Amino acid sequence: MRITVNFYSYFRDLTGAAEATETLKAGATIADLLKQLFARFPKLEVMQNSMLIAVGVEYQRRDYKLKEGDIVSLFPPVQGG
Amino acid sequence: MKRSLLIIQAPIDEASLLAQREMSNGMGAAVYFAGVVRDSEGPSAISAIEYEAFQQMAEYQFAKIFDQIEKRWPVESLRVVHRIGVVEVNEPSLWVEVIAPHRGEAFAACQFLIDEMKKTVPIWKRPLQRPS
Repeated sequence: MRITVNFYSYFRDLTGAAEATETLKAGATIADLLKQLFARFPKLEVMQNSMLIAVGVEYQRRDYKLKEGDIVSLFPPVQGG
Repeated sequence: MKRSLLIIQAPIDEASLLAQREMSNGMGAAVYFAGVVRDSEGPSAISAIEYEAFQQMAEYQFAKIFDQIEKRWPVESLRVVHRIGVVEVNEPSLWVEVIAPHRGEAFAACQFLIDEMKKTVPIWKRPLQRPS
């Protein structure tokens, strides 16, 4: 299945991209997606402890099972106000 | 509870927002908060902050906070404006109005909204250094 990943804030600087597409096996989780992304964008791995993850508009944990067409967003801690 | 959320590029017009206040006769408290850009970020002097939002998710996460406020306090009206893009020093980036029967619940709801926003609403800032 193909998963679209959006990067926000300085995660765009770390990856050099606003968006990426990854192909994963059926039943893959966000943790599997991150493993592939860290291989492709090594600078992202350094931020993994503070990284926030959403699928659509909901925050999700790393054991969330991805579905075809999911849009995953990765970003640093939020700073509104 | 009446609710209003604007995430906008344009400057926040506080006078205009205040003029649009609506509160029923049973309400005794209108609490306002403006978050204003300071001239420093840590040790660095700055001229502005550039705000970025994941707009669709920000609206959704704000709505979840509004839902929690509605359950916890008898708030009649909640209005929030968050500016995105470049906000100069001394200009507001955030404006909040909470209308409730008493000041205690209005202050508590306002504090809760801002605290939760800083945990869950996907908005980020990038300080812009003052040219030397």
